Amino acid sequence: MKKLIVIATVLVFAASCSDDFLFQPPRAALTVGSFPANADDAVLAINGAYNILRTWQINTGGFPLFDLMADDAVKGSNPGDGTAVAVYDKFTHTALEGGIEAWYKTEYEAIRRTNLVINEVPNIDMEENLKTRIIAEARFLRAFFYADLVRGFGAVPMVTVIDAPIDLGRTSVETILNEVIYPDLENAIANLPVRSDYGPEDLGRATKGAAQGLLARVKLFYGDFAAVEQLTKEVINSNEYQLMDDYAEVFPAANENNAESVFEIAAKPESFAEGGNQFANTQGVRGTPNRGWGFCRPSYTLIDEMQENNDPRLDPSVIFLNEVLDGITITGDGATPDTTRENGQIVEIECYNQKVWYPGTDTRTSFGHNRRIIRYADIILMHAEALNENGKSAEALTFLNQIRERARGDQETLPDYTTTNKDELRTLILEERKYEFAIEGLRFWDLVRTDRAEAILGPLGFIKGKNELFPIPQSEVDISQGRITQNPGY
Amino acid sequence: MHYLKKFLFAFICMTLSSSIFAQSSNYKGTVTASDLDEPLFGVSVLIKNTGNGTLTDLDGIFELEANSGDTLVLSYIGYKTQEIALSTQTQLEIVLGPDNEVLDEVVVIGYGTIKKSDLTGSVAKVTSKEITKVPSSNAIQALQGKVAGLQILSTSGDPGANPVVRLRGITTLNDNNPIAVIDGVITDVSAISLLNSSDIESVEVLKDASATAIYGSRGAAGVIIVTTKTGQSGKNKISFSIEQSIESISNEIEVMNGREFATYINQIEPGTYNNLDVLPDVNWLDHIINNNAPITNANMSISGGSENSTFYFGLGYFGQQGILDKSALDRLTAKLNSQYNLSRNINVGLNLSMLVSDKENSPGVINTALRAWPINEPFLEDGVTFADVTGGNALAAIEYSNSNSNSLRSLGNLYANFTFLNNFTFKSSLQFDFNAGKTKSFVPQYFVGPLQQNEVNDLSYSNSNSTDLIFENTLSYNNEVGRHRFAGVVGYSTQDRRNEFIAGNTEGLIREDPLFWYLDAGQNEFENVSNNAGRSTIISYLGRVNYSFDSRYLFTASLRRDGSSNFGKNNLYGYFPSVALGWNVSNEGFFNSDLINKLKIRGSVGGIGNEKIPGSAQYALIRGGTDAVFGEDESIYPGATFDGGGNPDLKWENTYQANVGFELGIMQDKLTVEMDYYYKNTTDILVPLEPAGYLGIGAFRSIFFNAANVTNKGLEWNARYRDNIGDFSYSVGVLGTTIKNEVTNIGQGFGADSLLIGGDLGNGQRVSRSSVGNPIGYFYGYEVEGVFQNQAEVENSPSLFGQKPGDLKYKDINGDGVLDGNDRTIIGNSIPDFVYGFNAQVGYKTITLSADFQGQAGNYIYNGKQAIRFTTLNYEARYNDYWDGEGSTNENFRPSLGGANFQPSSYFVEDGSYLRLRSLTLNYAIPNGILNKMRFSGANVYVRGTNIFTLTKYSGFSPEIGASNAINGAIDTGVYPITRVFSVGLNANF
Repeated sequence: MKKLIVIATVLVFAASCSDDFLFQPPRAALTVGSFPANADDAVLAINGAYNILRTWQINTGGFPLFDLMADDAVKGSNPGDGTAVAVYDKFTHTALEGGIEAWYKTEYEAIRRTNLVINEVPNIDMEENLKTRIIAEARFLRAFFYADLVRGFGAVPMVTVIDAPIDLGRTSVETILNEVIYPDLENAIANLPVRSDYGPEDLGRATKGAAQGLLARVKLFYGDFAAVEQLTKEVINSNEYQLMDDYAEVFPAANENNAESVFEIAAKPESFAEGGNQFANTQGVRGTPNRGWGFCRPSYTLIDEMQENNDPRLDPSVIFLNEVLDGITITGDGATPDTTRENGQIVEIECYNQKVWYPGTDTRTSFGHNRRIIRYADIILMHAEALNENGKSAEALTFLNQIRERARGDQETLPDYTTTNKDELRTLILEERKYEFAIEGLRFWDLVRTDRAEAILGPLGFIKGKNELFPIPQSEVDISQGRITQNPGY
Repeated sequence: MHYLKKFLFAFICMTLSSSIFAQSSNYKGTVTASDLDEPLFGVSVLIKNTGNGTLTDLDGIFELEANSGDTLVLSYIGYKTQEIALSTQTQLEIVLGPDNEVLDEVVVIGYGTIKKSDLTGSVAKVTSKEITKVPSSNAIQALQGKVAGLQILSTSGDPGANPVVRLRGITTLNDNNPIAVIDGVITDVSAISLLNSSDIESVEVLKDASATAIYGSRGAAGVIIVTTKTGQSGKNKISFSIEQSIESISNEIEVMNGREFATYINQIEPGTYNNLDVLPDVNWLDHIINNNAPITNANMSISGGSENSTFYFGLGYFGQQGILDKSALDRLTAKLNSQYNLSRNINVGLNLSMLVSDKENSPGVINTALRAWPINEPFLEDGVTFADVTGGNALAAIEYSNSNSNSLRSLGNLYANFTFLNNFTFKSSLQFDFNAGKTKSFVPQYFVGPLQQNEVNDLSYSNSNSTDLIFENTLSYNNEVGRHRFAGVVGYSTQDRRNEFIAGNTEGLIREDPLFWYLDAGQNEFENVSNNAGRSTIISYLGRVNYSFDSRYLFTASLRRDGSSNFGKNNLYGYFPSVALGWNVSNEGFFNSDLINKLKIRGSVGGIGNEKIPGSAQYALIRGGTDAVFGEDESIYPGATFDGGGNPDLKWENTYQANVGFELGIMQDKLTVEMDYYYKNTTDILVPLEPAGYLGIGAFRSIFFNAANVTNKGLEWNARYRDNIGDFSYSVGVLGTTIKNEVTNIGQGFGADSLLIGGDLGNGQRVSRSSVGNPIGYFYGYEVEGVFQNQAEVENSPSLFGQKPGDLKYKDINGDGVLDGNDRTIIGNSIPDFVYGFNAQVGYKTITLSADFQGQAGNYIYNGKQAIRFTTLNYEARYNDYWDGEGSTNENFRPSLGGANFQPSSYFVEDGSYLRLRSLTLNYAIPNGILNKMRFSGANVYVRGTNIFTLTKYSGFSPEIGASNAINGAIDTGVYPITRVFSVGLNANF
C-alpha cells in the first residue's frame, strides 16, 4: 500500500513541475518576430506580398467596378444575377456594399504584407543587392496599393508599420502621396532592375519601368504633367518596351508578358492556391461554353461608337454571339436576352469582354488570365497627354498617332490626326484612351481626373462632388465611432 | 452498417438464453411496496457491515444465509431504506414505504456527491426515465424543457445533428456551450452524443458559481454532469429495449407554385409568360422529402456483480434514415463500467464509452428546393435525365452527392481509490477522450446545366483525430462528528489536448466505382494534401470544503487555479473562487408547520472562467502557401506571410455569478417548489472582433480581444405537484426562466468601441449587431413603416435611391429628412425573454400518459433564406400578396427581383416565440402475473409522439433557430427540417 502512495505522490509532483507544459506554440506556422529571419525568408515574404495581387478581393471585391461605373461596360450576366453589382452601374452604391468593404480591407492586408518586408528585411544579414531589390519590390507594391486606396477613397489611414496603432484617423491624400507613394516609387525606380536585367525566371516581378509607369499614372491623376512627361520619356527611352504590331496580339493568352507589357499579374490556369486568378472568371462567357459568370459586359454605346469609327480594336475587345474563338463557338446564356431594348432602342446586346478570354476546356482555365496592369500603349498616351498639357502639342500629336497607326494596322480606317490645337488634342487623346483601353479599368478615372465624369456619366447616375470617391465602408466608420469620417454624399 | 444490427440481435439472443441461478439460505423473505401493494423486484438486501447480500426476485422474494443478530439493510430507489434486525424468525414479510423525502436524494457534484439537503448550490437533476423519452441520437435533447434555465434548440432535423445548448442566457461572445463531465471526464457537450440514452443513470446540471467554480476555467457557461449506470452486487440483471419510429416533416414552407411564380414574374417583366396554363407546376420540396422515414433504437444491457466486483455492460444501436435521401445515420454504442475491490480499502475501475458511427452528409438541398423555379421540370421528356433548373436541380444534387463521415470515439476513466484512516480517500485517475473521424466525398463527372455540372470527377478525403488526456489526483475527506458534518477535497490535474488532421483531394479518378474512391486513383497533377495539428494544455489545482452543522447551517467554499496554454506567459493563470451558505429552516426547532415539511434558503457567489478560444489566437501567424507566379514558364514561387492577426495580451475571461434561492416542500412533498434568482456578470470577454480594416488582417477576418462585458439575470422556478387517489395518480410540473441579457461594454482599449457586427447572410449583408445597452446579437436594419402607395408619397418621404410606389417605406429614424445608413435601428432581439416547459402525467394502475410541453417567448428570427436574392429565384408564398396598385396592401412590396426591398429590414424579422408539444407518451406496464410466466421481471410497452404540434407565428420549418456563435443572432438561412416522430417501444427486464 505504501508503494502505491509513493507512486501516486511522485506522479503528482512529476507532472506539476513547469510552465513549459503550458507553452504550446502553433504548429506548421511561424509568428511575427521569427520571420523573416534570413535571405530565404526575405524571398518568401516578398513573394507572399505579390500573392495578394491574384486574390479576388484586391480587385474591388471581385468585380471590375471601375468598368461598370464607366460608360464602356455594364453589369452584364443575366438580369437576375448579381443584383448586388448592379448598383455600381447606376451609382446607387452605398457605404454598406460588401464588395467595397472587402476591397478596402484587402488593400490594407496587402499593405501589411509589404510593411513586413519593408520593416524586417533591412535587419537581415544577406546579400546586399538582393536585399535592396526585395525592399524596392515591396515599396513598389506598397505604393501600388496606396495609390489604389487614395484614388478610390481619398484620405485614408496611413500605415507604414507592421502593427498599426488602434486610434488612427484619415491622413490627407497629399501626405500619403508625399510620405509613402512618391518616396516608395522613387526608391523602386532607383533600385529595381530594368525588365531585361531580370532573368527569365523572374519575369513578372516589379521593374524600374513598372515603377516609372505607375508613378506617371499617379502623377497624371493628380495633374503633375511635368513629372508625367519626364517619367514616360524615361520609359520610352529605356527601349525596354515596344507596341505589339497588331492590337489583336496584345491580349491572347499565348502573348502573356509580351513586349508591350510594363506590369502584369501572372496567373496559372489553376485554382487560386495553385496560382490562379478569378478575375477573368467573373467576366467569362456565361452559358455555352461555360467559362464564367458573364459580368462586365461591353456597353452598347462603346460597340456602336467603335463600329461607327470602323475601329479594328472592336473585334479583339468584344466577344459577340456566334463568334468562334480558339475553335469554340460562343453561344452564350439562355437566360440572358440576346438583345435588350428600351423604348424600341437597343440598350444592350449579349456579348462578353474578349480581353479576358482564355482558351481551354473548363471554367478553371480562365483563372490563367494575366491581368495587364500597365501597357506600353498607356505610357505613350500618357506621354502624349503630358506633352500636350505642357505646351508641346506638335510633339504630342506624333505619339498619339503611333497608337492610331498600330490600331489601324493594314486597314483604311482611323486616319492620323493632324490638329495641334491643345484643346482639340486633349479631347482626342481622351477619346483615344477610351477605345484603346476599353474595359481595362482606366476609363472611369480618366473621366474623373479630367472633370468630365458629370458630363458623360451624369445620365447614368454620377453625382458630382460625391461619386468621384467611393464611400468609406460603413463598418470602418462605425468601428472607429466616426473617427474615420465618411466621404461626402454617402 | 447492417452487420451492426445483426451483431446486436445475435448478442441479445445469446444473453437471453443464459440462465440465472439463485442461492439457498436460512432466511427467506418477501418485499412489497406499501404504495403499490405489489412485490418489488431487485431490492438490494445486504447484511450490514459485510459485503454479503442479494436482490429480490420477480416475486419480491429473497433468500439469504445469515445469523441471528445480523441486521439486514433493504434499499430500493424511490423507497425508504429499511433496517431489520434478524431474530430466529426466518420467514420475513417486509413492506417498503415510498421515499417522499426528496431531500435525502444524493446529488452528483464536481469531484464528489452530496446529500441534496446539504447542497448549497443550484443543481438540477434529471433521471434516466426522463432521458429515454425522446427518440434522438443525442441524450441532451431529452433535457429540453426539463431543467429551469436550460435552453436547448434542436436547430436541425439532420440525423445526428447536435442541438444548441445555452444555460442561463448568453454568457459570452465566444463559445457558449456548457461543458460536459461524463463519469468524471471533462469534455465538451457534444460528447454526450456518444452515450446511449438508456445507459445514463442521471444528468445533473450545475448552474450557480457554488456548483461550477470547482471546474474553474471551464464552468462559466454551466456544467452538465452525466453519470452512467453501474452494476449492483448480487443478482445479474438483463434488460433490453427496442423502439421503432417513423418521422415526417412537421411543417412545410409554402413557396409559389408554377402559376403564381409566372404571374409574379410577369408583373416584373410583362409578357414573360404568355400562357400560364401550359406551365409546369413542380413542388420541389415534395420531390426531395421522404416522409415516414424510419428510426430504429435498440439497446440491451447486462449488469451485476459479485462480492468484490461489479459490472455494467450496455450495447445500443441507433439508426435514422432521415427525411432527405443520403442523410442517414447509423450508430453503435457500447458502455462498460466495472469496478474491482483489490483489497478492503483499494478498488480500481474503468468507465468506458465507445461509439462507432456512419453518417451520410446530406448535400444541403433544402435551399435549392425552396429557390428552384417551380416552372422547371426535374427531368427531361425521357423521365430519367436530369433537366437544367434555374436555381438548381435538387434531385440531381442529391444524386451526384456521395459524402460519408465515419467516427470512432471512446471516452473513459481508469481509476483507483485508496481509502485510509477511515475518512480519507485518495483517487487517481487517467481520463481519456479519443476521437477519430474521417470524411470522404466523391462527385462524379456529370452535366445537368451550365451552372450545375462537374467536368472532371473529384474526390476529397479528410482524417482527423484528437486525443485528450487528463491525469487527475484528488484527496477527499469525509467525517461526521456529532452534529458536525465535514467534507473536503483537494486535487491536482493536468490536461493535454492534441488534434491533428490530414486532408487530401484529387480529380480525374480512373473509374467512378466506389472501389476507386481513393486518392491514388486520381491524377497526380490534381492531388493536394494538407496536414496540420494543434495542442493545448491546462494545469489545475482545486479545493473545496463543505460543512454542515446539525443539518441546519450549510457552508461551501471552493477555489480552483487553472493555467492554460491558450494565454501568453504573463496571463497564464486564473483563480476561480466561490463561497455559499445554506439554511435548512425546516430543521430548526422553532419551525413547526403541518403544511410545510421542507424549507431551505441558500445563496452563493463566485467567479468562473473561460478559455475556450483557439490556442493560436494569441499569435499573428505567418504561414507558407501564399505563392507568387513568375517566369516565362509561369512557375509557382513559394511565399509566406501573415495569415490573419493575433493578440499576445489575451487573458482569462471571468464570469462572476451570484445566486439566491429557496427550496420548499409542502404536504410531505406533494408540492415541491424550487426558485432561484441569478445574476451573472462576465468581464474581459474573449471576443473575435473584426477590427478596423487598416490593421490589415484582411476582409471579414477577426482577432480575439478581451474586450466586452455582458450581464445576464433572471428568475428560475421549478414546481411540481403530485398525488394519487386510489389507483389514479397524477403529477403536474411547471418550470421556466426569464433571461435579461445586456452587453455593458464592447471594445475597451481596442478602438472598436461599443459595436460588434455579425450575421453575414452570405450576400454581403450583415444583419446582426451587439452593442452596449442591448442584448447580444440583435438585428439591425431599416424599420418598415409600410409600403409607398403612390408617387406623391415617394416624393414626399425620405426614401432610398430609385424607390417607386409599391416599395417598402423605411422609417427616417433620425428625422433628418434623408434616408441613409444612419436610419438603421434595432429591429429584433434574438434572445428569448422567457424559456419554459411544463409537463403533466396521469396514471391509472399500470397505464400512464405523460405530456411534455416546451417553449420560449420574446425572441425574433431573421428570415435570411427569404432575403437572399442572387438571381431570379422562386419566392415564398407570402410574396403572392404583393402590392398591386394603390391601396392594395401596406404589408408586402411590389414584385421585385432584388434591390431596395431586400435591404436588411424589419420585413424579414419574424416573431420566433413558440409552444411545442415536445412529447406525448402512453405507457403500459405489463402486469407481473403475465410477466412471471414469461420469466420477465418487468416490462412495459409504449407509444409516443414527438414534436406533435408547435404553436408559432414563424413561417420557417421550425422556430428553433440558434447560432453556434451568439453574435450572429438567430438567422434562418435554410435548415434541414425538424420532424414529427411517432414511436412504439418495448422495455423489458429479466
